Amino acid sequence: MELEVVLALGMFATAIIALLAGYSVALTLGGVALIFALIGLSLGVFPQSLLENLPSRIQGGAIMQNETLVAVPLFILMGVILERSKVAEDLLHIASRLLGRINGGLGYAVILVGALLAASTGIVGATVITMTLIALPSMLQQKYDPQLATGTIAASGTLGQIIPPSIVLILLADAVSNAASQAASQMEIGAFVVSVGDLFAGALIPGLILVGLYLLWIGLNAWLRPERCPPAADDTSSPLTNKEVMFGLGAPLLLIFTVLGAILTGVATPTEAAAIGVAGAILLAGLRLSEPADHRLVPLVYAAFASLVVLIVVRNLIDLRLGVESAGTLATIGVAIALLATLLFFAGLIAGMTILYRKAQLLPALKSGVHITAMVFLILIGASLFSLVFRGFGGDEFVADLLNSIPGGRWGALIGAMLVMFLLGFFLDFIEIIFVVVPLVTPPLIVMGFDPVWLAILMALNLQTSFLTPPFGFALFYLRGAAPEGVKTSEIWRGAIPFIGLQLIIIVLVASLPSLATWLPSIAAD
Amino acid sequence: MDADIFLRIGVFLKWIGIFLIPVFLLPLLTLVLPNIFAGPSRILQQQIDRGTRWALYAAIVAAVLLVLIQLAVVIASYTFALSWTWLSEAVLYAFATVFMLGAASALKDDAHVRVDILRPRFGDHGRNWIELAGTYFFLFPIMVRLLITGEQGLARSWLLFEGSRESDGLPIVFLFKTLLPVFAVLMLAAGLSVALRAALRLTGKLPGEETPEKTMSSHYGA
Repeated sequence: MELEVVLALGMFATAIIALLAGYSVALTLGGVALIFALIGLSLGVFPQSLLENLPSRIQGGAIMQNETLVAVPLFILMGVILERSKVAEDLLHIASRLLGRINGGLGYAVILVGALLAASTGIVGATVITMTLIALPSMLQQKYDPQLATGTIAASGTLGQIIPPSIVLILLADAVSNAASQAASQMEIGAFVVSVGDLFAGALIPGLILVGLYLLWIGLNAWLRPERCPPAADDTSSPLTNKEVMFGLGAPLLLIFTVLGAILTGVATPTEAAAIGVAGAILLAGLRLSEPADHRLVPLVYAAFASLVVLIVVRNLIDLRLGVESAGTLATIGVAIALLATLLFFAGLIAGMTILYRKAQLLPALKSGVHITAMVFLILIGASLFSLVFRGFGGDEFVADLLNSIPGGRWGALIGAMLVMFLLGFFLDFIEIIFVVVPLVTPPLIVMGFDPVWLAILMALNLQTSFLTPPFGFALFYLRGAAPEGVKTSEIWRGAIPFIGLQLIIIVLVASLPSLATWLPSIAAD
Repeated sequence: MDADIFLRIGVFLKWIGIFLIPVFLLPLLTLVLPNIFAGPSRILQQQIDRGTRWALYAAIVAAVLLVLIQLAVVIASYTFALSWTWLSEAVLYAFATVFMLGAASALKDDAHVRVDILRPRFGDHGRNWIELAGTYFFLFPIMVRLLITGEQGLARSWLLFEGSRESDGLPIVFLFKTLLPVFAVLMLAAGLSVALRAALRLTGKLPGEETPEKTMSSHYGA
């Protein structure tokens, strides 16, 4: 083997061993890469210019000016604000009380809320912990089988990756889109375009089927073995008022569907929709946390909602394009109304933030949003250094050759790549796999003729399964950390197994029927 | 304004950096001679953390600006069919500022992802040693490398007061590019603080420290 390839493989192996020490993943990846680059330089097998490019790569369109990824901090902020303001918690409480009286009701509630919560945050750890803390105690109290309860929670927590608008799908779209244009240049054809919207659209049907399968599994249990998931025995708490249901359930649902709908119908880019999502989250959180003392601010928050409606109505009734010369009286009035509405909207937003600030929730939410964003992008920086060096040693060609040499043609290569990702999913996060592994394995697979969107969805489903698989699955770790001592680890592991089965069903389904993933993006594009 | 002045300031800052190199030995000195160096170490670590907190506040302001400016872009383009390059660039700048200035604070508060499989088995002692080794072998080299490699490009950018390529863009590309060395310096400082804390803990010279909450929720996975 050539020296370069030995160094590339040595770097990969060293990185994995170093990662197990438990130092920051981003810095470990970057640091190992830097050490190997210096070794390569001293042996004369590494091009000096590659490392020189590092600053401009970070400052350029890949990281600091990456317009696609602007949506990431926005969705993170939306998620943390909904979480800190207890909007997410309310959702679970209300859903479980609405459904709690039937067999398996709590299970249904956890799955549905998992899908929705996830859609708002897309962060497995956060979702699993929230649901474990809120739902697991009441499930156990209702004499749910601990296996079924923990399995449901862990699986529902991972739904966040596959159900849009998940953050990892945005990152995956960026990586796959780069891979696709790389593959296109190798194949000498016009570029494939893979947008975040495509991936959201592609993930929607498989995600919904998956939710359906989970629900079906609970339904089956409720029907055949009702003792595993009994209904609430005596509900002494006062019944839910319509207002609670509308506000606690309706409002967040409306927010999530608005954001998702705007992206899928192409009205807004993911970044634009995410900004609206943050605004909606701030307004909802402001209302949720408001107390009588805030009576001056609450009307402003309502006014902000109203002004959004006014903006949409006015915009669609009157031509407000300021660039157009022939502005009549109607247009002038329209512009005046729209400007007023805009002002009111920002005033409401500031009122919402003021309420959050008074309840000491604004700064913690922003801090945690900044930290999560920094975490993601530091990994991106470390991983790009890693990929840069790996490529410098020709490691990408080696991976391509390796994939081509797997017996069984392109399907063999696909299965091989998926298995490797599955195993890496045991100790690497989705984000790291997207930044390190996806750029390596995806271009050759696309060259072999696989559809980029379909590949991305399969990878997402595959990793989601990996996070559920004992003994190392991430979701199970988080669950273990947040679950009461009385729940045995072996119960958590066994609880996950049926859901892994369901995951395998959906993977086979999407693999054999690619249109499940590709149909919606193809019509959404028009 | 004369660009020369800024270049001189740059050179001056570089020399300050070079003179500060011995400070990076402080964690190791604390390990060897805890009785002499524990005091200064603790003071330095607290001062660095204070600076890191200011960087966090700047990042938080950038996050709020990101939301507000992006909303302004959305409303302007959706309602009035207006778009300005400088406003879109402001969104990107705010976006980059969030994580370039927030990364150091995330390091301080242990918000960066780690692989948790073997970590619990190492014990406190082992974890502190890993923290020290990681800081010296991984964090410092990366950031120093970024500073050295980025120097030329940055000097050129300041010399020209590099602005946007678009005519109606923001004229502050040189400031935007300065975020990278600022990030590197903040990370170096935060890394030093982490190493100092690890060294103080290893020598048992960190009494009454608010132990960072090691809750599961501080480690958000994807």
